[in-house]
Amino acid sequence: MSASSHAPNNHDNPMPATGKGRDKTQSAHATGVGDRGRWSTQRIAVYALFVALAIATSFIGISIIPGVSYLKYDPSGIVCLIAGFAFGPAAALIVSVLGFVPHLFVDPWGAVIAIAVSVLLSVPAAAIYRRLRTRQGALVGIVVGALLAFAGAIGLNLLITPLYLPGTTMAQVVKLIPILLLFNLVKFAINGVITFLIYKPISDLLNR
Amino acid sequence: MLTNPRPPMTDVPMADLRSVRFSYDGGRSWILDDVNLRIAAGERICLIGRNGSGKSTLARLLAGLVAPDSGSVQLAGYGVFDENGSQPAQYRTARRRIGAVFQNPMDQIVTTVVSDDVAFGPENLAFKRSRITEQVDSSLASVDMRDFANANPSRMSGGQQQRVAMAGILAMAPKMVVLDEPTAMLDSEASMDVMQTLDALQHQGVTIVHVTHKPQELSDADRILELTGGHLRETSRSDAIALLSTDEATEQHAHEQIERLTESTPAVLETESVQGDPGPAVSFTHVSYRYPQSSVDAIHDLSLTINRGKTIAIMGRNGSGKSTLTKLMAALRKPTNGTITVDGVGNLSKLSKRDRKRLRSTLGLVMQRPEQQLFASTVEQDVAYGPRNLGLSEDEVAHRVETSLKLLGLDRFANRSPFSLSGGQQRLAAIAGIIACQPQILVLDEPCAGLDAEATIRIEELIGTLRQKGVTIVLITHSRGQAYRLADQIVTLDGAASRTVRLDDGSQTVSQTGTASINSADNAQDTQTATTHRGSPQTSQPETSVPSSRLGRLDPRVKLLSFLALMFSSFAMGSPQELVLGAIMIIGLIVLGRISPLQLLSKTRGFLIIFIILGIFNMLFVRSGDTLVSVFGLPITTDGAISAILSICRLTLVILLGAILLETTTPTTLTDGFDSMLSPFKRFGLHSQETALVMSLALRFVPTLSDEAKTVVEAQAVRAGSIETGSPRARIRAAAAIIVPVFAGAIRHADNLALALDARCYEEGIERTHWHQLKLNKRDLAFLALCLIYAVAFIGFHTMPWQPWR
Repeated sequence: MSASSHAPNNHDNPMPATGKGRDKTQSAHATGVGDRGRWSTQRIAVYALFVALAIATSFIGISIIPGVSYLKYDPSGIVCLIAGFAFGPAAALIVSVLGFVPHLFVDPWGAVIAIAVSVLLSVPAAAIYRRLRTRQGALVGIVVGALLAFAGAIGLNLLITPLYLPGTTMAQVVKLIPILLLFNLVKFAINGVITFLIYKPISDLLNR
Repeated sequence: MLTNPRPPMTDVPMADLRSVRFSYDGGRSWILDDVNLRIAAGERICLIGRNGSGKSTLARLLAGLVAPDSGSVQLAGYGVFDENGSQPAQYRTARRRIGAVFQNPMDQIVTTVVSDDVAFGPENLAFKRSRITEQVDSSLASVDMRDFANANPSRMSGGQQQRVAMAGILAMAPKMVVLDEPTAMLDSEASMDVMQTLDALQHQGVTIVHVTHKPQELSDADRILELTGGHLRETSRSDAIALLSTDEATEQHAHEQIERLTESTPAVLETESVQGDPGPAVSFTHVSYRYPQSSVDAIHDLSLTINRGKTIAIMGRNGSGKSTLTKLMAALRKPTNGTITVDGVGNLSKLSKRDRKRLRSTLGLVMQRPEQQLFASTVEQDVAYGPRNLGLSEDEVAHRVETSLKLLGLDRFANRSPFSLSGGQQRLAAIAGIIACQPQILVLDEPCAGLDAEATIRIEELIGTLRQKGVTIVLITHSRGQAYRLADQIVTLDGAASRTVRLDDGSQTVSQTGTASINSADNAQDTQTATTHRGSPQTSQPETSVPSSRLGRLDPRVKLLSFLALMFSSFAMGSPQELVLGAIMIIGLIVLGRISPLQLLSKTRGFLIIFIILGIFNMLFVRSGDTLVSVFGLPITTDGAISAILSICRLTLVILLGAILLETTTPTTLTDGFDSMLSPFKRFGLHSQETALVMSLALRFVPTLSDEAKTVVEAQAVRAGSIETGSPRARIRAAAAIIVPVFAGAIRHADNLALALDARCYEEGIERTHWHQLKLNKRDLAFLALCLIYAVAFIGFHTMPWQPWR
């Protein structure tokens, strides 16, 4: 499992097609207890920590467009993408959904949208990368995921805006589109570029 | 392979390993090579050896957590591994009789309430509910943590956490306990607590295998075994002590040094002025620092001067403010009171951009476990990060990287991934990254913690070399021997409320060994008192995580569903009468939950401010309706005002509901509710139990990861990395330097946690008992009825003809 197809003699443990990912417990030293099947303790632990990372990062809020303080960037998308690349689409789904569960109690509609956008970003990216396990595959995955998430984010944001800003007319909501476009463009660009750059060292770590 | 487990015969050994071999690289090298070991029931064994000698591997083998490559293994009387390979059924049964405790206490704790955590193992073993209650109670009593049953382990000291982890294992009533350096991350007092628990277990006849680095922990062992070159051999206590001591004579001497009681007035430290000295390297004047949300100063009225070219050792127990001191020096924290000057850069609390840059190039900080900040693809790139951020030319960067790698003996690893190095090498690589910035003042926070004698000597040599070059060195250490070997002065930070500083002149004390020893008897009593007293700020009082209330005792399923329904319905509010209804509902919940409204307000304050800003934004945006007033030419209309009120009230209701829910529910009950509600989806292939466990573990690790992320951000800031300034390329590099170590931390925790889950006998799809039974009772039905009345009233108001705001 490595984003670097160019690495010669890549003796990294390649990820099985089933998306088992890094299951060190499948090694020669398995005891055969609790470390087999789709939900080995190793898998539960890794998912738990990635979900924890997604939760922690999802509460970070950075204004990336000057003057528009209500649209905040958070790096949780990177966590979902990395989870998907490392452990497959199922992991991307779990991390995307569970990572935003705490937001249900803070901002219910916002959480539903964040989950949808996150799933749109990371699950297709992970699915593509699973089929095409190269740097190009990662790039295509990120771009496709980002485009889907971009469309989803704009559409869903327009739908819920009246709930948050009651009294606004559709014409006024439409005026928000340029800002939403700009914000989401910047957001997915940051997520994509950083994921693409940091995946190599992280895969080194996972394949130690 | 699925033969039925054979019950153990009496008198069989707890462990019997024959010709066991174990390799991590497919047989190219053997970390365990022909190991034979027989451990009788009730024996207490200490296992020693260098870093990387295979101690942990052997411990995991003995705990039944991994299988070897070849040989035969019998655990608790069950033949778990033989020429046919692993015997899962036998492993499963054997593992239920063996407990394992690891180094890092936090990674073994699975939830946020002590008693729930201790119950996790017995639940996995499907003990009856009544038995779980007994086991939780008795095991907490045996580690002396009964008063903490309802406390949150993440707010405890390391020693208390490790005792909770041990209770979690003892609750499963093991016949043998394997402990892998359980005191490695604890200070001496906390270590003693753990050792006392071990003594008690030994008396109960529990077999103990204890991996340790500390000579003082060998005393009660029946046998001491040393692993070296893959082989196991029995060794005498004196030989073992010699092996484990970096420098026996100095350590011995150090142990004999008895600390004098500190004076109650703050001492001012001055070292002799060197001729032509341009002023001290570091000076603290009446500095105090208090962490936000803390009621005591971490550092209180500290005055300290460190002259150029001197090496100062700072000592003191965990929590005495040593690390805080290093962060203050590096301007990562601003002192609450007093002034700090570093290398002539004046008051650190008001740094200009230029001064900050200058500080970054003069002061280097090696934080605790600096290897946790490695991030780049190669060692070379990682080391180059700091010099590059200082804006040096590429030639200069390359030169510095080369020099510092050579200095630490890492030149041959320049192009390797830092993550492929051994633990000790990673530490050295991380230190090289700081040295490459060529700081004139180097601050090291426990640089040798957890390292074996060899790596320790390498770091001590480095400190010697830098000292000769005239670098000012501030060394935080727990080892008195190290302090005496390296430092010109030793400063002891006192952990008590009045924190004072004491100065030992290293050379003088060494020459006065005799006197110090004679004094020791007289002072022993005083020292004891001082230690106990210092313990108090660390040892938190039992603190219940969730106060019991009518709302707190509700069935989590009822609570979750009704709160979510209430939250979503808040978005439909559109009239004054509905808002009043919502307010009544919130007040009712606050009363039922016995929540302090002020506390609720302070917890949600940040959100409320955002909502008000959003509301004002909304008000300016809406232009329909009659104009009420004009502000700077912007009309504020009736519709705008109504829409602002609605927006603020809706969001406030939602956030208050969320806060009330979290305030009155423990994560364990939430997870139980979550699990139970998801279970109908099992038939669609959803692993509800596992998903719920993932969620619960995730919640437990969020604070840990957040704290670690803060540390990484600070560490990279000291290497002049900044996301806020610089070219896009530099910013992205700075982001990667933070994100990669955070992921690395998560993966490291996951590895430890997986082992801890195995040790607690968790398996996919097992039949578990739920200690907290979920059963709807009258209280839940009454609450549901109240919610229903609310819903009817809400719909009534919503469909009323009188709708002034529509």
